[in-house]
Order: sequence, then structure tokens, then C-alpha cells
Amino acid sequence: MTGKTSKQAMYLRMITASVARRKSRMLIALLAVVVGATILSGLVTIYYDIPRQMGMEFRNYGANMILVPADSTQGGMTRESIDEAASHIRSDELVGVSPYHYENLTINATPMVAAGTDLEAVRATSPYWYVEGAWPSKPGEVLVGLQEAETFSLKVGDKVTITYTVTGDDGRDAIEENPVEFTVSGLLDTGGSEEKYFFISQEDMESLTGKELTYNVAELSIQANAERLQEIADDISSSVPTVSPQVVKRLTTSESTVLTKLQALVLLVTIVVLALTMICVATTMTAVVTERRKEIGLRKALGASDRSIMMEFMGEGLLQGAIGGLFGAGLGFAFAQLVSTNVFNSSITFRPILVPITVLAALLVTGLACTIPVRNATNVDPALVLKGE
Amino acid sequence: MFFRMIRGMLTRQTGKMAMIAFTIALGASLATAMLAVMFDVSDKVNQELKTYGSNITVVPKESSVISDLYEVDGQADITKAYLREDELGKIKTIFWTFNIVDFAPMLDARMTVNGTEAPVVGSWFNHHLDLPTGEQLDAGITSMRSWWEIVDGRWLDEAKSGDDQRVMLGHNLAEKLGVGAGDTISIKGSASSGSYEVAGVFDAGGDEDDQLFAPLDLVQELSDTDGKLSSIEVSALTTPDDETSRQAAKDPSKLTIAQYETWYCTAYASSICYQIQEVITDSVASPVRQVADAEGAILDKTELLMVLITILALLGSALGISNLVTASVMERGQEIGLLKAIGATDRAISGLVLTEIVCVAIVGGIVGFGVGLGFAQIIGQTVFGSSIALKPMVVPLVVVLVIAVTLLGSISAIRTALRLDPVEVLHDR
Repeated sequence: MTGKTSKQAMYLRMITASVARRKSRMLIALLAVVVGATILSGLVTIYYDIPRQMGMEFRNYGANMILVPADSTQGGMTRESIDEAASHIRSDELVGVSPYHYENLTINATPMVAAGTDLEAVRATSPYWYVEGAWPSKPGEVLVGLQEAETFSLKVGDKVTITYTVTGDDGRDAIEENPVEFTVSGLLDTGGSEEKYFFISQEDMESLTGKELTYNVAELSIQANAERLQEIADDISSSVPTVSPQVVKRLTTSESTVLTKLQALVLLVTIVVLALTMICVATTMTAVVTERRKEIGLRKALGASDRSIMMEFMGEGLLQGAIGGLFGAGLGFAFAQLVSTNVFNSSITFRPILVPITVLAALLVTGLACTIPVRNATNVDPALVLKGE
Repeated sequence: MFFRMIRGMLTRQTGKMAMIAFTIALGASLATAMLAVMFDVSDKVNQELKTYGSNITVVPKESSVISDLYEVDGQADITKAYLREDELGKIKTIFWTFNIVDFAPMLDARMTVNGTEAPVVGSWFNHHLDLPTGEQLDAGITSMRSWWEIVDGRWLDEAKSGDDQRVMLGHNLAEKLGVGAGDTISIKGSASSGSYEVAGVFDAGGDEDDQLFAPLDLVQELSDTDGKLSSIEVSALTTPDDETSRQAAKDPSKLTIAQYETWYCTAYASSICYQIQEVITDSVASPVRQVADAEGAILDKTELLMVLITILALLGSALGISNLVTASVMERGQEIGLLKAIGATDRAISGLVLTEIVCVAIVGGIVGFGVGLGFAQIIGQTVFGSSIALKPMVVPLVVVLVIAVTLLGSISAIRTALRLDPVEVLHDR
């Protein structure tokens, strides 16, 4: 065994023995580091995940992009062109696409407007629709806007005959009438203009009109910020000439305002909490090291150099920092996961980069916290320290 | 003797005591700041969400039944029902008056603009109101349409002289008419006509791009509908709706008296609607679900998120404080051993150590509370541009937290110290 390795072995033994023997005190210091590291990794994970998670909540406001036919004189959009437009959006960004085909129909010769749509998709793009009763689930069921329900005095469960009139080329003479009986499955309450329409499935609309459907408008709910939305819109309008995408400015502008504020809030909170916790960790470490002045004095009396004392204490502190940092990184992720599942019902992405960052931060704080008291102690005359002040 | 010992400890060991006080102050300030922000965050975010526009619309009773789909021009004015302008002020007299942050009257009409027919909306822009309560409010669409982008010219400013004779155009309409800001257009209503200057052209990204917006009085004069309104948009701070409030909204008379009072005295969108209906004759007020529901979801999530972060911060500060207190008590093993050796009872020793630490904790706690309030204000000012209102609940919570944590931290450490044999401790093990 060479002298160097035995020296290293001794150094390691001193550090580990000190950690193992002075259990309770070491535990206190370690606990402080773990708490600090947990808060660091937990809050930073949450901070980075906020835009994605909160952005999802903002989709409750409904569609933030609409597609309309590029040339309205050419009639509506086909399902293919809508699907093609939607294919320009990454699947993890796209929340839903709901196409609408509006048609003038009559009930007992009274005119009304019905929309044929993909009712499943509507539930994703317009989560705020409040349906009294049930959503139409089988053919022959209709969802009636609250205002129209009052006009036609319809209740849930009522039967209603909806008539499609095939008109001649001049659009005036009725050539043929196609009455179909529908059951009212639910009443739609939105507080907005949707209450003025009837909603049926695309298949029902197709069998009613007897034509293949083209769509007047398609609503898209996309989880993206204002710039990305504009990018998508430009992309669609240049590659799909038949549709004209429009960003719903009201939603995007407001969303970025509010989301920016929310993220700033979490950032500031994170900074304040981190700063205070790190100082707390440092004071605890300082208290634990200060207590060992006598030991330092004894070592100095035995002839240890300031440097070797410094090295040993730093080694001890850094060992605690590393262990605490590792534990903290794990616990912090667990905390972030807990927050994410409780608040947003979704899991959080693990960021491996945070583990070294947390450990480094823990090392830095413990290192700094040890330096000051150890330096103070080494500056003191060992005789004075050993005498007890 | 007891007090002399404590005084001696506090004055002689200033360095050590200062460190304990400092840590307690840090923990207390963290707790104060987080609690203050947490209790106020939903109000603050609610204010921010007002940028989405109104969450309640008020329409005349008849028009909510007769769909305006069938209204043909000319005929419309005969059957159309209106709200009364003189009742507008009453909206700010309801029980939840302070929750109503903004409102704007709307009067729709179709008029001939430069020979083309176009929808015209009369409204308030930044109408200044001096309320009987002493509150001052600039209500109108300038704040309720915050997403409008002015592409040419400027917003109408009601405080500016001459602006009552100016109008604003949606950019589609402006393009169609070939006019821009500063140009003069002629508007012909059902009653009279005149020439008006275009103050600004806006891009709203919606139907409003085809409309003309003018001051309310101007539209009333042009269409001879003096003192009449077609709808009112209200922006209110609301509590997210739950199942009870939905039931209540359908038929408030079905509730028991206790339920009714709870509902009436909670700022649900439905109860605010109900109260608006009470003061505006023949009106139907309904929540705009798109805004109200999403608002509810976002508020709930933000609040829950802040609660969890606050719990983490509180746990952190609690562990920080109790850790240091434990460490500082353990350090005094020798002193405790000496006290025991000269015959002090366990009770006397615990009393002494605890009193010292609680004294320090009180000082640290008070300083920390002040600093924490400062942190909360920094957060409020930086993020929301307004100060965080301190809820009275924060004070007892912080006091209880600091004292409980300090006592718990020291008691367990004192126990350990007392259990040691004085001979061993004094001998240095």
C-alpha cells in the first residue's frame, strides 16, 4: 500500500465515521439539505410544466382557430380538406377538430337553423357546453339550443319532425320535402349564440339532406401560444388552398396575457422560496459546524494544518450535500408529480437535467455554509478553544 | 433568578441567539409571504381573466324568447324589446356590487354607412361613472374588448371633446368602404342622418370586424331609440359554479331558506345574474358559459396549485426552524448537564430553555412577518401590478406555525438532553 492511498483511506474513514457516529446531528444537517433540495427540484419541475398544464386548462375557453372556406362562393369545405389542414398540426398540440354544416330547415313550416357536426369532437373543442339531459348518442337524436327550445316549446324526450326542403335551381320552389322524426335528447345552455341552433350528427344531416356534406366552418382547439398558432395558420393557408384559417384573437391575446402572469407568479414564488430555504439550510449547517470548534481546536493542537481541517470538514459537508441533493431530487419529483396529478390530473415529465442541477446546488450551499464557520474556527488559537472560550 | 438567567443568555450569547432569530425570521417570512399570496391569488387571477370580456349578458325578456334570427330589417324595430338606459346604474346597487368590475350597454341597429348597409353598435367606450357609494369607474368596451388591435387611428376617448361625434370601424368594414382613420363617413339611421369622423379602425378577429361602433347617444339619436338598450354586457368576479348553484339558477324558489341565503350571498355567476334581473325591469341575465366555466376551471386549478406550493413552503420553513432549534438545544447539552448536577429539576430546565427560545422566536417571528409582507407585495406588484390584500387569517396562522414549530423542535431536543447522565455530559462523554 502506498502512502497516498492510505492517506486517502484515512480521510474517507474520518469522514464516514464522523457521519456515522454523530448520527443525530448529521441527520439534522442532512434533513436540512434534503428539504432544500426537494423544494428546489419540485418547484423548478412545476415551473417548467406550468405552461403546458395550464395551457390545457385554457382550452376550456373553446376553439382558438377556425377554418372557413377560402372562397365562399364555391360552397363549403370538404371533410378531406379539413383533415388535410388538421394534419399540419402536431398531434400533441391538437385538442380537437369539429366541423359544422349549417342548414336551413323547418319544423311545422317554421324556419330554424340546424348544424350537422361531429358531436364527439364538439365535446373536446367546446367543453363549456352545458347539456341538460344527454348528448345525442344514437341516430335520430337532436340537441336543441335553449332559446330554440323555448321558441318551439320543446322538452327533453319530446319528439319533433324536422323537414328538409329540396329547392329548385332558382332556390325558391319547393320540389320535394323530406320530413324526419327526431327525439330531443338534451337542451344546450351556453349563454351564447349556440343556443339559437339545433345540433344533429353528421350522419343524420346527410340522410336528411340526401347529399354529401360540405362544411361552412370548422372549429379547432389547439394547445399552442399565439406565435405558434399564427405559424400553424400561415402553414395551413399556404399548403391547403381551399380553406382559410383564422386565429380567434380574443382567446389567444387574453391567454398569453394570463398565462404569462401565472408563470411569472410561479417563478417569483419559486425564487423567494428557494432563496429563503437555501439560507435556512446554510444556517443549520453553520450551527452544526460551529458546535465542533473544540474538535477543530484539538486537531490543530495535534498539529493538523488549516488546509487539512478545511478539507475534512468540506468533505463531510459535501458528502451530506451530495446525499441530500440526490434524495431531494427524487422527493422533489415525487412532490411535483403529486401536484400534477392532484391539480391537473396528468403526469409530469421527468427532467433528468434537474438531478445534477439539484445536487450541484446542494453542494454549493453546503460548501459555502461549511466554509465560513470552519474558517472562523481555524483562525482561533487552539489553546483558547480547548479551554472553553 | 429565572429572569436574570434568561436576560444573561439573551445578552451574552447574542451571536447564537441572533442566528436562531434570523432562521425563525426567514421561516416566518416565507410562511407569511406564501400564505398572503395564496389567499389572494384567486382574486388576482380573477381580475386577470377579465381580459376575456364579459361573463354575463343581460337581454330583454322578450328577445330571449323570440330569436333574432327571424328579425328582418324594419320589422325588427316594431317587435323588438329594449332595456331601459336609466336603469343601468342599478347594476352597481346589487348585493355583489363590488364584484362587478365593468359593464357596457349595447344598442344594435342596422344603418346605411356611405350607401352600404352595415350593423352599427352603440356603446360606452370609457364612460366615467361617479357612483353613489363614492366609487369611481371607467366602464365600457375600451376595457371589455382588450383584445382589439387598433390597426389605424386610436380608441375613442369619451373624455375628449368632439369624440361623441366620432366612430370606430371594424377593419373588414373599413376595407369594404375604403376609408381609414381621419376620414369622414355618412351614416343614415331610421330617424336621422349625419357625417362623422372615423377615430380608429380595429381588428377584433371575429364578427365585430364587420361592424361600426359609435357612442351610445349617437346611435340612439340616429335610430330614434332614446333611452333604450338592446343588451348589457357585465364583467363580474364570480365564484365557480357548482351543482347547487346550477339547480338554484333554474328555480331559486325551490331552495330552502338556508340554501337560498347561502346561494344569494355567494358570488356565483347565477346569483349575480338573479340579482341583476331583480333590478333591471323585464330582463334576462345569463352567464356566458364559455367565459364563466373556463374561468371557474382555471381559478380552481390556480388556487389548488398555490395551496400545494404553499404547503411545501410551509413544510420547508417548519423543518428549517425546528432543525436549527433542535441543533441549538443539543449544543447546550453541557449547560443542561451542569444545571442538573447543581440540582435543577427537569421542569425548571425545560422552562428556562423554552422561555429563552420562545422569546427569540417572538422577535424573529415579528421581523419575519414584516419581511414576508414585503415579499408578498413584491410578488403582487411584479406579477399583477397591484398590491396583495392581507387576509386577517394569515396572522394567526403564522403565529401558530412559528410557536408550534419552535416548541416542537425544542421539546424533543430538550428531552434528549435531559435523558443524558449529567456526569457523562460534563465529562464530555
